[in-house]
Amino acid sequence: MEDLEEGDQLGMESEEEDSELSDGALQEAFAKGLLKPGMNLLTPAPKKLVNNLDGLKQCLADFRKDLPWVERLDLTNMPVDDIVAKAEGKLPSPTSREVNAEDDFQREMFFYRQGQATVLEALPLLKQLGIATKRPEDYFAEMAKSDQQMQKIRKKLISKQTMMEKSEKAKKLREQRKFGKKVQVEVIQKRQKEKKAMMSAVKRYQKGMTDKLDFLDGDQKKPKGSTEASKKAVTKKGPNAKRKYKDQKFGFGGKKSGKKWNTKESFNDVSGFRAKVAHGKGGKGGKQGKGGKQNKRPGKSVRRKMKGRS
Amino acid sequence: MSTLKRKRGGKGPGGKKAKKVKVTENGGPPSKPEQGQTHEISVPAPVSLGKWTNKERVLIFSSRGINFRTRHLMQDLRTMMPHAKADTKMDRKDKLFVINEVCEIKNCNKCLFFEAKKKQDLYMWIANSPHGPSAKFLVQNIHTLAELKMTGNCLKGSRPLLSFDPKFDKEPHYALLKELFTQTFSTPHYHPKSQPFVDHVYTFTIADNRIWFRNYQIIEEDASLVEIGPRFVLNLIKVFQGSFGGATLYENPQFTSPNMHRRQIRLATAARLREKQMVRELQKIKRTEAKEEVGKDITADVFVTPADEKPVQIETEPPERKVVKKNKHKAFKRQRMQRGR
Repeated sequence: MEDLEEGDQLGMESEEEDSELSDGALQEAFAKGLLKPGMNLLTPAPKKLVNNLDGLKQCLADFRKDLPWVERLDLTNMPVDDIVAKAEGKLPSPTSREVNAEDDFQREMFFYRQGQATVLEALPLLKQLGIATKRPEDYFAEMAKSDQQMQKIRKKLISKQTMMEKSEKAKKLREQRKFGKKVQVEVIQKRQKEKKAMMSAVKRYQKGMTDKLDFLDGDQKKPKGSTEASKKAVTKKGPNAKRKYKDQKFGFGGKKSGKKWNTKESFNDVSGFRAKVAHGKGGKGGKQGKGGKQNKRPGKSVRRKMKGRS
Repeated sequence: MSTLKRKRGGKGPGGKKAKKVKVTENGGPPSKPEQGQTHEISVPAPVSLGKWTNKERVLIFSSRGINFRTRHLMQDLRTMMPHAKADTKMDRKDKLFVINEVCEIKNCNKCLFFEAKKKQDLYMWIANSPHGPSAKFLVQNIHTLAELKMTGNCLKGSRPLLSFDPKFDKEPHYALLKELFTQTFSTPHYHPKSQPFVDHVYTFTIADNRIWFRNYQIIEEDASLVEIGPRFVLNLIKVFQGSFGGATLYENPQFTSPNMHRRQIRLATAARLREKQMVRELQKIKRTEAKEEVGKDITADVFVTPADEKPVQIETEPPERKVVKKNKHKAFKRQRMQRGR
């Protein structure tokens, strides 16, 4: 037990009150039991910090001057509740009031609110004591900062504001331009689509697949509105029937659409057959009996007169 | 201006500030205070009616070697505190208790002494001059009145409200500091240089074991504030029983002197560099050291399988080419695809 095995075991530190490194002293210390086998390191004793509570209290008692509050104007209070944090639901519990010194904004807001709480508490007290807090407009006195300084501050604030506004405007303009470009592209695409639709509708009509001329009116319907409903009906059916018939008979011109071929289907199609017309039954007499002048052509003299008259 | 004799009782100083117009505190029509006694409307007293009883005077000065920011801070404090007096810079070779004598000469009972060390660190002593306690702080994060971000303004010499954090009441050393601050920073009532309105508030808050000082202007009655400045952070070092000396009453355990702080940073960077260097050297050694030759591959036996050993054939001529015969009965590829192969 008496052999010191230095270097075999690590980390056995022990504080030595007296830093005597003489062998004799070490042996004595070991015998007493202050040293243990193993490597012993010298560590500095922890600094003993003075915290003389009684002395502090005594000093405070001696030093304190019992002045009326009006002389001191001091208040101790917690900061006003943070409305913003409450609204966001991030209100810290009232017990954990540690303000984070690293978070600049939070810290400054904390100080601000503390000041606010003091002011809110102190103003009524001051009013009671008859001390004014509001400076009247015509009270001119020297201020802590000179007018020049205040001018500089004002200029800086204004310049900051204008810069911000400018940047906002520039941003908005950029957005608008982007938006405008988008809108332009959209309009062009829409127009192309419309043109395509129109052409296809026309082609379809040409080829006789549809017999409605709705696509012509499709553009005009929207601006005109619903004022000419009846006229629309007339215009829809009036020339359309005749036109339709003639177009059907003679076509649009140009390349034939291939709808008049004599194919098996068209040969077998008997939908255009009118028995009455074909066999002449009740065609000549019946028509003239109802409305006289439908097909009858007036004589030469009458025609000449009509011609001269019109 | 301080040599102007003030009359006790009756008129206050009339022509001191040329711009100042004598106005009653109610904002009513300006009436002469001499006729105050005969007026039926109660005219509140002008600033000083000789009722200045709280004779508190603060001496603000510094040692040599301060930089512009400290100088401006001192000037700002003197502006804000009408009960403050200035003095010339103290020589560094003088001991600190000389300051007590300076205070006595100037008839001041409080002292704010700024000490600059190494042209970098600023220490502030706040002391109650003849017998009272004193404290030493390290001052950081100084911003002066002249900074353009501090947009508020207040009357020169108006009395401040003092706002303290509740933490000041929890520990005895903070309580002592609170009392010191209160007596030092609060302007006495009816001080001749003070203004009658209370329009700004000092806040002392404890955060991160430091005392943060802010100065706000009260704009509206609903307590909207704007910062005036100056602002600084105090890091407590020690509290002494006497003025600039005496027994230590309290030592701040979290305080590390700026020298130690800088030293720690330097040591940290040095340690990092040394570690990098060591790693690099180790790598170099590894690269250049003689690598031992491994004669026998111990893993070679892993793939030994029990099988008959074939005689080793060494071909001296290249092998013959294989004859590829075309399959005529095979359909064309396209046809194959069509068939759906």
